Formats: sequence, structure tokens, C-alpha cells
Amino acid sequence: MTTSIERLVASDGPSGTATPRRRTVVVRGPLRVVGRVLLAVALPVVVVATWQLAGTGGSLFGGVLPTPDRVWKAWWTWAFGTTGLGLNPYSGTWLANLLYSAERVAKGFGCAILIGVPVGIAIGWNRAAAGALDPTVQVLRPIPITAWLPFSIAVFGIGPGGAIFLIALGAFYPIVVNTSQGARDVERILIRAALMMGAGPFTILRRVVLPAALPSIFTGLRVGLGIGWTAVIVAEMVAVKSGLGYVLWDAYYVGRMDVVIADMITIGLLGYLSDRLVLAIERWALAWRRLQSHQA
Amino acid sequence: MGTVLFQNVSKTFPGVRSVRALDDVSLSIGEGDFVALLGPSGCGKSTLLNLLAGFDRISDGHLLFDGRPVTRPGPDRGVVFQEAALFPWLDVWNNVIFGPKVQGVPRDVYEPRARELLHLVGLDAFAEALPVQLSGGMRQRVGIARVLAMSPRALLMDEPFGALDAQTRLSMQQLLLDVWQSLGTTVLFVTHDIDEAILLSDRICVMSARPGRIVRTLPIALPRPRSIASLTSPEFVAYKADILSEMNVVHH
Repeated sequence: MTTSIERLVASDGPSGTATPRRRTVVVRGPLRVVGRVLLAVALPVVVVATWQLAGTGGSLFGGVLPTPDRVWKAWWTWAFGTTGLGLNPYSGTWLANLLYSAERVAKGFGCAILIGVPVGIAIGWNRAAAGALDPTVQVLRPIPITAWLPFSIAVFGIGPGGAIFLIALGAFYPIVVNTSQGARDVERILIRAALMMGAGPFTILRRVVLPAALPSIFTGLRVGLGIGWTAVIVAEMVAVKSGLGYVLWDAYYVGRMDVVIADMITIGLLGYLSDRLVLAIERWALAWRRLQSHQA
Repeated sequence: MGTVLFQNVSKTFPGVRSVRALDDVSLSIGEGDFVALLGPSGCGKSTLLNLLAGFDRISDGHLLFDGRPVTRPGPDRGVVFQEAALFPWLDVWNNVIFGPKVQGVPRDVYEPRARELLHLVGLDAFAEALPVQLSGGMRQRVGIARVLAMSPRALLMDEPFGALDAQTRLSMQQLLLDVWQSLGTTVLFVTHDIDEAILLSDRICVMSARPGRIVRTLPIALPRPRSIASLTSPEFVAYKADILSEMNVVHH
């Protein structure tokens, strides 16, 4: 009798253990990676080449737009030129301005997370909190961050404080909305299981609602970070005397479209890299979920 | 310890058309008894279990666990759900120790016990596996182990093997018989499977739907310890015939 049971038990094993399954997910042929990179850069290469070939004498549309080679040269000087009071005020300031903007985004985004995640969990989890907070959030949410600019300048003056405020505000909404959605959608049976095991309200929030809402929270973080980059550029163009946004607007005023374009591309790359960073953290934090989705 | 008393309990779910899920149910379960609630879906057997678990409140009557009114869920009544309801972000080990850990039981108390329980349910090798990497039967073993880790005075099982294939279900039933034999915990077991109810329990409460009522209580006097070999004994078949005719009456 016992042996037949043991056999039944053994037949009830997993269809495949964790390790091989994980391996099939991670390992890719190097050729496939090269192929993906080639596919990804094909469009930019075509656009840049066309743009270069269409230009005459280093510019397009009668001198309005510089060709890529001039943008590249401007970027090089901006990045590696000697600083000082030369004829080119941007020379050698690329890294410094990039770090100004990145620091502001990091600070504002950090504030948005610290406020947005708890508020979102509260709205999604507690009916009273939802009733007290959600209407205000929903009415403030349609106000674009650009509309907050005068308010921000009035309160924070010309300086980085206003930029950080706008970034935090812009990133706050998607974080709150997604977090509250995630907290609302926690499976009731998991809450019941936690209650049954003696978990109190705070333990349930921390150990059940938060991890269950984490996928939604990360969705909010990624959207919020994108808005954070928009906010920092807008704020710096108008109300701060440093950073990529400031350089962008300043260069436009003095007709340096080559610097403007180099600046835009820098913003794009930074936004991309910061998104990849959040994505990497998400992958790490939600490893359990990745296995789940690959099992289907 | 682990006694249950339902005294004229009714449960009505409010709504546009309120539903009377349970109507005047009385049921007494002694310490260490294994009682099965058997009936078609919608007969209120899960509602009855949820009331005892403290997930829902009774509308009328009295419901006592160990002589005290049930007001909320608690680790003294371990619930095993149909779909295991494990935390998908925790590995098997952390699912099993969740209860004692959040209750503040010292680590050197719960760790040896959790290891023992993992061994008991045959999952020593899977402590670090995530629930998604396990089969349905293995998940349910974890569900049982994590409840036993709290040393509950009663086990409330809501069709725990209903979603498993027939073979796995048999091995799980045997596992439960073995566990119950050694621990002697009170068990309230909800099922719609007649064989399962006869095999496992000391007493079967047959329920009818709309409104949910216990229409018959049938003691099962099959000798213990039982095993899945009991499924083919003449006494077993006689009980089954009896219940089948009872359920026919219920349906007409």
C-alpha cells in the first residue's frame, strides 16, 4: 500500500524543475542579439544618412537645420571642448548639465515614489482613504505640469527647487493611479489566507498588498519617470539657469540648432537609459512573476 | 480543544435580491472529529466553512469555536483553500513559515517544525521553489504544511483536492489521512465528492441547496486507520449507495 502511494506521490512531481526552465529564458544565441541590435539601429541609420545626404553646405531648409556631421561636431565641443569664457559658452559643459538634469530627475522622482506609493496603496486598500484622497488627486491630475510653471516659479523662484517640484508632481500621478489599481486588484483569497495566518492590517499591507501590487507599481514608475524627464526640461527651459533644458532653450535663442539637436538626442538617450535601469530593477524584484509568465 | 458549535445559524447575503445561503443550521463537532460537508455546488457548504473561518459573519444564531463566539479569522482555525492560495512571490519555505513568522513565533521554534512539515508532505527538496514551479498537488501540500505550521486546533478544508486529477487526489487523501491520524486535529472538510467524504470522515453532513440546510447526518463507522484500499470494501459501497439515494431525493 505504502509503496503504491509513494509512486503516486512521485508521479505528482513538477513537470520540470526551476533551473532548466530559467535557463531557457535567459540564454540566447549571440547571433540573435546581434540581429536584434542591427534591426534596432537600421531606422536611425537610414534617417541620419538621408538627412546628411539631403543637406547642402552643412545645412537643410536654407540653413535652418544643421546636418548630422555638424551636430556631431557641436556635440563633441559641448562634451569635450575647453571650458571658459570663449565664444562658445557651451564648450565642455555637457557632462555638468547632464548631471544637473539627472540629479533633479532623481530627486523629484524619489519624492514622487516616497509619496506616491504609500498614497496609492492607501487609496487602493482603504475605502476611507480613497474617499478622502482620490477625488482631490483626480481633479488635480488633469492640470498639466506646464500649467504649474507660474505657480512653481512664484513659490520656488528661479532655481532647481521648482524643477524638482514639477518632476515630483508629474511623476506622482501615474505612480498613484497605478499603485492604487494594483492594491485594489489584490486577490481576495490571498488576503483571507494572510488573515487566517494571524497577520494584522499593517503586516497584510507590507507582506501581501505591496508585493501583489508591485507589478502595477512598476508600470507607474516607468510612466512617471518619462513624465519626470518632460518636467525637468520644461522647468529648466523657463525657470532654472542650468541643465539640459536650459542649454536647449538658450542654444535656440542664439541660433545654435546643432547644439539644440545634440541636446535633444542626449535627453532621449538619458531617458532611455534611466528607463532601462528601472526595468532592470523591476526584473530583479519581480523574478517570481517572470517565471510565471514564461510558463504559459 | 478544537470544538465547533453551530446553533441555528443562518446566513443571508444582502443585495438587490438577497440570498439565504444557510438556513437554521445546527452542527456540533467534537475535539479531533473529522466531519465532511457534502453537497452540490451552491448548497452553502463553503459559506458554512467561511463563517467558521471568520471570513463572513453569521446573520442569525450562534457560532462557537472552543466555546467562544467566532468574530474574525485566526491561526487557531487553519484554512486550506481549493486553489492553495499561496503567495506567488514567496518560495515554498517562506510560504510555510509565513504564519508563525507574522505571529512573532521565535525562529528557533518554527524553523524545525517547518522543516519537519515539509518532510511530512514530501517537499524537502522544493523549499526554494516558487509556487508557480510546482504542480497543483504539490501546491496543495504546501497549503497544508503552512497551515499545520501554525499548530491550529481545527483544519478547515474547502474542497482542497477538487481541482486535482484523480490520481493526485488519491495520494493527497492518503496524505491527509496519515497527517490527521498522527495529529488528531479537528477537521471540517467541504467536498462534493462522495467517495472522498466517506473515505476521510467520521461523519458526513449531507446538505441541500436553496436554502442551504443539513438534510442528513451520517456517521461513517469504517475502521481506522483507513487507506485508499478502503474505497472498495463492501461497507464503503453500502455507504455510497445510501448517500446516492439521499442525494437523489435532495435533487427532486
